Amino acid sequence: MAFHGEIVITSTASQSDVSDQFLVAKVVSAQDTAAYGELIRRHQSQVRNFLRKLTGDISSADDLAQDCFLHAWNKLQTFTGRGSFIGWLLKVAYTTFLQSKRKSKRYAEILDEAGYVAQTEARSYTPQADEISDLDKLLAVLTEDERAIMILSYACGLSHREISGATGLPVGTVKSVIFRGKEKIRKSFDIKDNQYG
Amino acid sequence: MVDRMKDAEDRLLESMFQSEPIADDGFSDRVIWRVWRRIWLRRLTLPMAMLVGGAIAIKPALQLVQVGSGLLSAVPQELFATPAALVSQLPIILFAGTVLVVGMLSTRMLEE
Repeated sequence: MAFHGEIVITSTASQSDVSDQFLVAKVVSAQDTAAYGELIRRHQSQVRNFLRKLTGDISSADDLAQDCFLHAWNKLQTFTGRGSFIGWLLKVAYTTFLQSKRKSKRYAEILDEAGYVAQTEARSYTPQADEISDLDKLLAVLTEDERAIMILSYACGLSHREISGATGLPVGTVKSVIFRGKEKIRKSFDIKDNQYG
Repeated sequence: MVDRMKDAEDRLLESMFQSEPIADDGFSDRVIWRVWRRIWLRRLTLPMAMLVGGAIAIKPALQLVQVGSGLLSAVPQELFATPAALVSQLPIILFAGTVLVVGMLSTRMLEE
């Protein structure tokens, strides 16, 4: 973000009842960290939940969430206000996750080239053995893309169009990935239609 | 999920994916602290770089000025344009200046 004005500190008391778009405008125009703090407080739960489900690891998900909000601070002027702010934020979170995964992969490759054995496949889906839930089992049968899209759809409640915006995939692809994900879950857990509801 | 109809399977999946809201517990303060740190680092980087760069460059820059002034006295006076010659070339200079300004403004507009 370009450095235009002074950093502004204002009271957060009056900011709890204003829209996300208004807060974003305050941040972009005046580098208002109090307004940005309010935006973080509003959306941190959803972003952290998304990343926790995506990575299966609480601490790395929270680190990624911090990075996500820092990236969002730098890119906030690119938020046009057309879609929801949380949709845009989850896009930044997903991009942060993919970048981190790419970095980890490259790091593992360098270690491998140097003759070291990489200890972990960092940032992959690695739920801790003692706390594997039904959702973890369910997510484990999905590929990374499917997992991200299913989480965005069913955990974050994003529309197909918003998921398309967040992942950069066409709406038709999003629909088919969700269909495929549901098929996989159905087959893996032997769930029949009459078990629902 | 406003752009599709939810069936029983969707509702089941939604309930499975549902989780408790995560408490802030100082998370937003930690992020804001990192944002502040970044702002101040950026704020300090340019003056510090100018200061260090200036300190390093001051000696060679002075030497360059001295060498330049020595060379200037060796250049014949006829090579410098007289005011009269400048007046005759004024339209060309004005045209070039206008083109330059318009070009710079256009580039800036395109960037924005």
